[in-house]
Amino acid sequence: MSTFDRRRFIGSGVAAASAAALGAPLRVFAQSGEIVIGAAPPITGVFAFAGAGLHAGLGDWVEWKNAQGGIAGRKLRYVAEDSSYKVDQSVAIFKKIVAQHKPPVFYGDSTGWAKAIAPEVSQLGSLLATGPSFSSDLADPAKAPYYFMPGPTYSGQIEILLEHASRSAAGATKPSVAFVYSDTEFGRDPIAAGKAKAAKLGIPVVLEIITKPGAVDVSAEMIKLRRAKPDFVIFHGYVLAPIPEFIRQMREAGLSSRGMGTIYSMDKTTIDQMGAVGAGFLGVMPYRYSFDSQKTATMELIREVGSRKPGNPWQTTFYTQGWLVGMIFDQVIGRTLSAKKELTGPNMKAALESINKWDTGGIFGVPISLKSHAIPVGRTYLVTGKSIEPASDWITIG
Amino acid sequence: MRIGDFHASYRHDEALFDTRVQRAWFAVLVVALLAFPFVGGAYFVYLACLLGIHLISAAGLNIMTGYTGLISLGHAAFMGVGCYTVAVAERAGIPFYLALPLAGCASAVIGLVVGVPSLRIKGLYFAVATLAAQFVLGFVFREWESVTGGVRGANVPAASLFGFELAGDQRIYFLIVPLAVVMLLGARNLFRTRVGRAFIAIRDRDISAEVLGISLFHYKLLAFAIGSFYAGVAGGLWGYFFRVATPELFGLPLSVFYLAAIIVGGLGSILGTILGATFMTMVPELLRAMVGWAQALGVQDASVFLASIRQVVFGLLIVGFLIFEPHGLAEMWRRVRRFFHLWPFRT
Repeated sequence: MSTFDRRRFIGSGVAAASAAALGAPLRVFAQSGEIVIGAAPPITGVFAFAGAGLHAGLGDWVEWKNAQGGIAGRKLRYVAEDSSYKVDQSVAIFKKIVAQHKPPVFYGDSTGWAKAIAPEVSQLGSLLATGPSFSSDLADPAKAPYYFMPGPTYSGQIEILLEHASRSAAGATKPSVAFVYSDTEFGRDPIAAGKAKAAKLGIPVVLEIITKPGAVDVSAEMIKLRRAKPDFVIFHGYVLAPIPEFIRQMREAGLSSRGMGTIYSMDKTTIDQMGAVGAGFLGVMPYRYSFDSQKTATMELIREVGSRKPGNPWQTTFYTQGWLVGMIFDQVIGRTLSAKKELTGPNMKAALESINKWDTGGIFGVPISLKSHAIPVGRTYLVTGKSIEPASDWITIG
Repeated sequence: MRIGDFHASYRHDEALFDTRVQRAWFAVLVVALLAFPFVGGAYFVYLACLLGIHLISAAGLNIMTGYTGLISLGHAAFMGVGCYTVAVAERAGIPFYLALPLAGCASAVIGLVVGVPSLRIKGLYFAVATLAAQFVLGFVFREWESVTGGVRGANVPAASLFGFELAGDQRIYFLIVPLAVVMLLGARNLFRTRVGRAFIAIRDRDISAEVLGISLFHYKLLAFAIGSFYAGVAGGLWGYFFRVATPELFGLPLSVFYLAAIIVGGLGSILGTILGATFMTMVPELLRAMVGWAQALGVQDASVFLASIRQVVFGLLIVGFLIFEPHGLAEMWRRVRRFFHLWPFRT
């Protein structure tokens, strides 16, 4: 009796543990006709500052699109899990969602994730992937045929900044620039291309400084900057620190150099955290800000839909990016279905590559065409007091 | 009620699995592992592969830290050496069955170099020396561009055997999981040999060990080489699994992950390695699944609100285990087993 009870007890324990370990899968298979949009946004972790907005933007777009009747009459379902910005976890989520829901499109979380899943995505040939990484490595249809990015590569962003610097030159003398970047893949990504572009434009690169990401003591680097006296200092590979500290010390040293940043330093929330030193900072942003004085159809729609949710995530550029990703999915899936083709990787890739002079309704100020599966368009903005104002027209590179 | 083990021969006494029940359970495990990729689904097969890699690497760290008392904070870097070795070996056309031992050997050689200071320093001082190795190797991964591909990293082709590519989780599973089983059995056996017992003696009291005739220099270096070999093989498998090697994959957080795994599981215990690595790999997944259930039950925006709580719960679970069972999950498992073995009598 006792042996029987004990075994039964152990048996039930093992069964319960197995059920738990197997995720007691609340598997919800895609209903016939329903299109699943999979995502592994970084809602927590070091990229959470952007992840929550990206997640909200894409999720809200799906909700809005369903209210409009879906894509070609087919409803959408958004299936997302927090990746914590860890490669192993985001790959796990990707595998889980792909296995359980078979999404034709997937939104990931990092360069590492995109590189890790690239062979499998190519092998599967059943989906199109994207994410918040603008690594130049990923904008290569030969290496990652089923990956696209919703904006210009980091190299492209640096090129836009250099174009701005070049155009700002009053006479024949070109302004000089310094590159300050983090010792990470993110930081180093566009530097070689940036130097090549500077050489092409005749802009002298007078200094390169590599730092750790995050808050660091910049006193030693400032001595080099004071000697080099660049007209522009391009920061890349950071979100916030050490940019404010650099700018503060540049001001204190009496340098007239203008700080410049790329997409992830240029959201309003980040600029606000810079405080008073942020005034005069100039950066590149591919998207129109939610508070742009020029009213456009899509930005108004984002405002209307996003305002229904608490916390106002719609005001950030991350939300806009999430929404834009949804719009690109719409284009790709819609074009594929209109051509009466199946939602396979090659068919959706062809649809993606057919996007030419597409009007996003104001997210970009010009109609966009994809180049190497990236959108080579952006605009420079200047931080003026508490506002961020356009500092150039929309610039299309290469 | 089980009251003891009766060994009728030395062979029986030395057997790894000394009871019929243990052998039967092991056979069941082998059959289950063989069948798993066909019934488990892509997500769980992926997790099994990831767990297999973590198990091998954590076993290596437990050999160094748990059994020999040499705290290493550079374990991820040793994995990186293995991963890059595989990338380079594949470029040179070396097949995986040679590339993986090569990856282990390359890490072991680096481990030998890093282990040299262990003769003069120990404890936290030695941990700092291994931390330096973590940063130095990280620097090499980033800067030796012609070999490692720099910050962009290197692609690793799929392992292939006579033209049959081990691409995809289901195929690579049959490389990773059997290797994990073999290496765990190897680690378990190691501590039934003179070498393994020498490691334990050094951990418990190095001066006494030396008095007993154990060469500290020789055995400490050997422990480091073996542990690094395990890390190198795990790194090589990581390369074949993720098909990419970048410096950021092998940073300090991964080293801390393995250290946490063996502490939570139980230092100086292969069972602890298994339980700790499983805990560290599966609990975040389980917590994420719980967020999914909350969403399915209609909790509004569960993915956003519960995502942060998930991290806190994971941290609290680790702290809880350390407070209530400092000897790790292995000791908890032993206590549970003892309870059932002696039931209805009190332990």
